[in-house]
Amino acid sequence: MSAIRYAVEDIPRRRFLELGLKGGLALAAAPSLLSCAKKGRAPAKPELALEDLDKVIARALVQGGEFAEVYVEHRISRSILLEEGKFKSAVFGISQGAGVRVISGDKTGYAYSDEISMDKLLRAAEVASTVARGAAAGKPVPIKEEKRPSFITVAVPLQTVADEKRLEIMQRAHDAALAYDPRIKMASIDYYDEVRGRTIANSEGLCLRDELPLLFFVIQTLGVGNGTSHMGRERLSRHSGLEMFDELKPEDAARAAARESIVMLEAKDAPAGKMDVVMQNGWGGVLVHEAVGHPLEGDNIARETGVFVGKLGQLVASEKFTMVDDGTLPCFRGTTNFDDEGTEMKRNVLIQDGVLVKFMTDILSAKQIKMERTGNGRRESFRNIPIVRMTNTFIDKGTDKPADILASTKSGLYVQALSGGSVNPTDGVFNFTCREAYLIEDGKKTAPVKGATLIGNCLDVIRGIDAVGDDLDFGPGICGKGQSAEVSAGQPTVRIRGINVGGSRARTR
Amino acid sequence: MDNTALAEATIKTCLKKGADAAEVYLETSRNLSFEVRKGEVETVEEAAGVGAGIRVFVKGRMAFSSSNDLGEKALNDAVGRAIAFARITTSDPANVLPDDKGVTEVAGLYDPEIAGIPLDRKIELAKAAEKLAMKDPRITKSDGARYQEAEGEITIANSNGLSKSYRAGGCGFSVSVVAEKGDQKSSGGESCSRRFFADLKTAEEVAAKAARDAYEALDPRPVKTQQAPVIFSTDVARALLGGILGAVDGERVLQGASFLAKRMGEQIGSELITLVDDGTRPKGLGSEPFDGEGVPTEKRTIVEKGILRGFLYNTIVAARAGVKSTGNASRGGFTSLPGIGPHNFTMAAGAAKLEDIIRATPSGLLLKEVTGYGINPVNGNFSGGASGFWIENGRIAFPVKGLTIAGTADAMLNGIDMVADDLDPDRAMAAPSFRIRLLQIGGE
Repeated sequence: MSAIRYAVEDIPRRRFLELGLKGGLALAAAPSLLSCAKKGRAPAKPELALEDLDKVIARALVQGGEFAEVYVEHRISRSILLEEGKFKSAVFGISQGAGVRVISGDKTGYAYSDEISMDKLLRAAEVASTVARGAAAGKPVPIKEEKRPSFITVAVPLQTVADEKRLEIMQRAHDAALAYDPRIKMASIDYYDEVRGRTIANSEGLCLRDELPLLFFVIQTLGVGNGTSHMGRERLSRHSGLEMFDELKPEDAARAAARESIVMLEAKDAPAGKMDVVMQNGWGGVLVHEAVGHPLEGDNIARETGVFVGKLGQLVASEKFTMVDDGTLPCFRGTTNFDDEGTEMKRNVLIQDGVLVKFMTDILSAKQIKMERTGNGRRESFRNIPIVRMTNTFIDKGTDKPADILASTKSGLYVQALSGGSVNPTDGVFNFTCREAYLIEDGKKTAPVKGATLIGNCLDVIRGIDAVGDDLDFGPGICGKGQSAEVSAGQPTVRIRGINVGGSRARTR
Repeated sequence: MDNTALAEATIKTCLKKGADAAEVYLETSRNLSFEVRKGEVETVEEAAGVGAGIRVFVKGRMAFSSSNDLGEKALNDAVGRAIAFARITTSDPANVLPDDKGVTEVAGLYDPEIAGIPLDRKIELAKAAEKLAMKDPRITKSDGARYQEAEGEITIANSNGLSKSYRAGGCGFSVSVVAEKGDQKSSGGESCSRRFFADLKTAEEVAAKAARDAYEALDPRPVKTQQAPVIFSTDVARALLGGILGAVDGERVLQGASFLAKRMGEQIGSELITLVDDGTRPKGLGSEPFDGEGVPTEKRTIVEKGILRGFLYNTIVAARAGVKSTGNASRGGFTSLPGIGPHNFTMAAGAAKLEDIIRATPSGLLLKEVTGYGINPVNGNFSGGASGFWIENGRIAFPVKGLTIAGTADAMLNGIDMVADDLDPDRAMAAPSFRIRLLQIGGE
């Protein structure tokens, strides 16, 4: 079955293509030809004059259509791998390109070019405009450059950092991981940074330019012992300069990954069947990102396929449950100053005390479902159309004490860390794989158990949340929905009653 | 300048600027995709692109840079960036490039007709798929039909005198629909991809499968947590094959991060399992005349009647392991270094009919969808979400949803006791239906 499925990837970037259990349109023509929309690229900044952008927008609307947009992007990226004690590779990427989009009713035309010249942009505008042939033509408003508030601060710009500094940070993480325990046999440190410059101009008169730095630091550690192996992982990521590592120490992250590797060597078979689940604060919020966030994206609401269609204003979850998507959290991985359509970022409360109050939108779906633009129109690169995506998505904090939540759970599963998972946004059935989980026996965390799957229906889960802690925390991740996007997910410690856990051991009690 | 000349000239630049060895990977491509919903074209995307990936070696240190601007200045800049970056990596005697000038003849990778087929005919195909999938009254919503095509040329040259190129293309279409009954929603989708437009399945066939997957899953019933036989249908081949692929990756094997690392030549599963990786299959979606760094592709047996026979290697990992590259260098496009990946990776068909396997199963699960990451290549643990049909008394009794299945690779591979004859060789990663004697199922 190849129903549409949105997933959070758990696979290191460089192995994404080889191993990804991806759903969606399974088109594997020449694999490498179809996958040219990957990360990493961009050189000397091409600056287009405002009147040039105006000309392209006007050309895009010549045949008809109510909205046209030019998106220009340049990206410079560095990726360095330290593995098995060696700096195995260093990858430098430069890319640039521009895309022109035309919206006419429900129709969208898109064309892009790797080359940023008036010639190519006008040609892209013509190609994109063919969908609007015969429709009434909107009159573009002349663009004017604007400034927006910034949610991203940079103390040590990535462009000014010597490569030796990057290596030193990686080496510190590597050494800390191996020093943690002799059973750590290998550490893999994946360093990635990029600076993405954007120019967005549209027929509503908008013109914005900015530059976004991004850091992504992934540590994986291989623990071997007790007749098994476990790959532990920790990730650090922010839209920030290199000062991120002053606050988030590479050694601490490495030790966290190593700790997981060692603990899980003792893991027993997980139980199978329905049980209560306590989820520790942090990246576990990815469960609601998948299970609830994706179905709340305006595109599937406009298509009337999503599980929340027609439920606006209704009580859909436990009254303890408030869910927020907030693209303004300072320097977070899911934060930008404005989305890839130029809409200002904001804090969007989606479910308030159990009541569904808002869907996330991009320009097209906001028009289709007649809701405000929420700043969720994002794209992987100039090669992609913006679509509705989450930013930093979380369960808001409650008032319960995490220790009480655990102590009041007689038996069940304590999930300390999740890998990733996916959801079918139509029926709301989601699945997650635990990275680190423990049995709960008599209100206490006991033996670690092997990576079990959690599965359920999104509506059952948010109705089944009966305790919400006061310890909100976040973690960084990659979200896949045809395109990949950097996101954060967060939650306080929560308890969910009656989730189906996919272990390999039949429960004896 | 054609791409081969450009690649060779760029290698000269690398050597002149201080590289001891260099490789240039050039890609030119053209893409078209569109989506149809409710009988109207909703989205059209069209583009052409170029890109170069430049790998350099300086005193045994490796670095890489990429650019999507093939102008002289941009390429010179990219070469300079790569050479500067090679300062910081670790020298390794295994950092070598291939020199095999051979090319495997693979027929049918490029359909010269695709580009010339009128857009309207392609739109009609997608529209027909959507309309036919909506025909059944149980199908209430369309999630759209998509068509996509891509073609291009890949050129690889290196300082060992290797210089090769080939053209390839492909096209495909898919449709997704929703069946509703009361409060229930159930989605179904199907796709078909081929090298040649004329080889695509009919809209009827693809639409019927999408609709059937959606409405047949309505009215699921719960089942108890239990151990039972599980039949993997051809739709879920990936759940088994993906983890094995990760575990036979030569780099993971070297790192000890594979549950198969020390099992070469041993019986790792049932005699009914034979796995082949074939880069040479005519018209194969995973076929290519040479791999991502120019090594000729072959057809290799990875598991023969349950015995582990081979791992997958690219040139550098092979040099570290003291073996020859198996032609499994894979590229994620021009922006990344070659990794390790399969071509057409399939499990050999068996002799049984799927109906007979169902009939031979008094009570058990017929899997239509498995979610999650499949088998963990590091330790062989497996756990996933599952849906499909429950079998009672050798017949399909009712649909099931929201179950879990779990076990270990060892138990799964050894537990395969029946294999069907229904392998679809047109998929790049495929297995026939097969039964695993007993797996833990999580339900009520």
